[in-house]
Amino acid sequence: MSGIVQDKKYRDRQKRKDFFITVFIAIFAFVWMVPLLWTFWTSLRPYSDVIQNGVFSKPSTLNFQNYITAYDRMDIWEYLTNSFIVAIPTVILTLFFGSLMAFVVTRYSFKFNLYLLLLFTAGNLLPVQLVYAPLFKMYIWIGDLVGNRNLLYDSFTGLILVHVALQMGFATFVMSSYMKTIPKEISESALLDGASVFRHYWNVILPLLRPPLAALSVLMTTWIYNEFFWAIVLIKSDNKRPITSALGRLQGEFVTDFNLLAAGAIMAALPTLLIFFILKRQFVSGLTLGSTKG
Amino acid sequence: MSNEVTENGVSRRTVLKGAALGGLGLVGGGTLLSSCGDDKATGPVTFTARTNDETGLKIAQALADAYKAETGIDVTMQGSGDTNAFQDGISQYLQGTPDDVFQWMAGFRTNFRADQGLLADLSENIKNLGDQMPEGFISGATNPSDGKQYIIPTTWYPWGLHYRKSTMKELGLDPENIATWDDFMKLLEGTQKKGLIGYAMGDKGGWEAMGTFSILNVRINGYDYHIDLLNGRKKWTDQATIDVFNQFALLIPYMNKNFLDISWDGMRDLLLAKKCGAMMMGSWWANDFKAKSQEDYDDLWIVPFPEINPAYGRDSIDAPVDGVSVAANGANVEGGKQFAEWIGSEAGMLAAQAAGDTSLYANSRLDTSEYDAFNKQKLAVIGEAKNVMNFLDRDCRNDFAGTIVGPAIQNFLKAPKDVNKIVDGMQEAWDALPPLE
Repeated sequence: MSGIVQDKKYRDRQKRKDFFITVFIAIFAFVWMVPLLWTFWTSLRPYSDVIQNGVFSKPSTLNFQNYITAYDRMDIWEYLTNSFIVAIPTVILTLFFGSLMAFVVTRYSFKFNLYLLLLFTAGNLLPVQLVYAPLFKMYIWIGDLVGNRNLLYDSFTGLILVHVALQMGFATFVMSSYMKTIPKEISESALLDGASVFRHYWNVILPLLRPPLAALSVLMTTWIYNEFFWAIVLIKSDNKRPITSALGRLQGEFVTDFNLLAAGAIMAALPTLLIFFILKRQFVSGLTLGSTKG
Repeated sequence: MSNEVTENGVSRRTVLKGAALGGLGLVGGGTLLSSCGDDKATGPVTFTARTNDETGLKIAQALADAYKAETGIDVTMQGSGDTNAFQDGISQYLQGTPDDVFQWMAGFRTNFRADQGLLADLSENIKNLGDQMPEGFISGATNPSDGKQYIIPTTWYPWGLHYRKSTMKELGLDPENIATWDDFMKLLEGTQKKGLIGYAMGDKGGWEAMGTFSILNVRINGYDYHIDLLNGRKKWTDQATIDVFNQFALLIPYMNKNFLDISWDGMRDLLLAKKCGAMMMGSWWANDFKAKSQEDYDDLWIVPFPEINPAYGRDSIDAPVDGVSVAANGANVEGGKQFAEWIGSEAGMLAAQAAGDTSLYANSRLDTSEYDAFNKQKLAVIGEAKNVMNFLDRDCRNDFAGTIVGPAIQNFLKAPKDVNKIVDGMQEAWDALPPLE
């Protein structure tokens, strides 16, 4: 008898807990959504309306005019192309080098395995603003060596290289963690069958890395796509800058039409949202797979 | 390199390339080029507009097109991307592979880079402009360390008290006759009594309130003291400087309370919405009033900041000068110089004007009789001043203005009682700065 009562009490407590958690999550979901929704709301209003009646006023007109204007003014396709010219090679190279690195530090045991891994991840801890000045000098110096200053500075190559270098640490870290969960026996049997090091990596391990590769490629594409800093400091020519900088076109030196900017921002954010929704499953499964296999 | 070698540009650019290869790149290239003075350059020119906004780019493109039509020389124009990022990264821009000509600002921001050998000497070109370039602008563009000019002044705007004629009329106030500080206080009180903000302030950006500080300093201590202070020859801890802050404190009760939450455009919006009386600001945003309606534009007015110390009267004003500079490191320095000179000339200014530029021009040949009433008033406001300042962040070294003075004034506005502590901190920060190279 008493057991049943206890069960009921336990169930009630569980229910109450669930309720609080739901409320908690709802509040946070709301807090996360507000800026997005507010941006969207702003993008529908004309600037003149806001100037005349204030930001919190009841709108007199709601339309998509800002989107049309922003589209016209941003040269969106040119900048979008630039973004992908940078993002796609970066992601492929980062994943390739990162997986090679992770492969070596997890599948083979050297004395300095751990230090190597640390070295690679430590790079991520440096703020980019700190790396920027020496990197700039280095790019110019290398350019002068071969007689073409624009070899790395103000070029896609330079931008891709710096992204690969900075993102590799994280990629290595994630993939090596995942690789540790792949049973040693697989590697042992591969070696027993006489697989070379590269074959071991390419035909045995790499196919097993699909989940983290998928997750990382989604994450990194978004990161590189949203990146602003390097594109501003290392690219001098406006026609080589990525989409994030096209938003600057909607800003005046002194005066900014925030409604127009909001429309532009939403358009610029669309590709990342699309990537996320299309690859959501990969994204989530990649994260969870890694954690349950241990 | 985007510029292909053409005709007689060959030899020079080859020389430049050789110099760059030999590691003489930064400085060597510049001097080599300026030595071949009178050579007419015909190679294409690249041009960076210091803006990314629609009107600004349109005007810059119009300049490029008009130059091409007149001389047959190709000019490739590009926007700078985010203006602030461009300004912050100018040293890297100039050390890398800059465009030949770029829009820039006179004062410290030019002279500092000139001393580093990053800008081409434009003294010859200024001389060529002759009487088109008024004395005041030449002296404003002159680098004190070598007496040469590295920027060709094009446009400028005054800092003054802006207000709406209609608001003042409704309140029964007459801002045209605020000759003294007492008159000004009466005006502020009057505005506040009617439920409006007396002295609009938005200092989120950290630079907006510098305008008020500078004008108070030149009104109380004079122009020379102000410039000496900004260049370390007077101290922030001097009683004269503290007096300026104390005077500033008298304005705080008339300000809107959210002055650290809004930027300069927040102030403009207050004026647009008729929620404030006076607003101390540079008058570059008059076009926003025009965008709202012609009526609003006609309602806008500007007067000089009132006199405080009769010894100095109203003899100084902040009127930052914008212009064009030529990168010593560019691919076609000689061609760049000629284009820059042309932009500063009557022909260039007419082209900009035709493209919708409403600024005040430095060039003396331009006919001002066509100016609208507001622009004429701006000229009048500048006209009565003897000394022209370039605004605090251009009259002072950059690593002090933005990083120390800006936050210090913000702290002061929050807690005016702490003025002694604040000026101590400022002086300490100044003393700790490394000497300029």
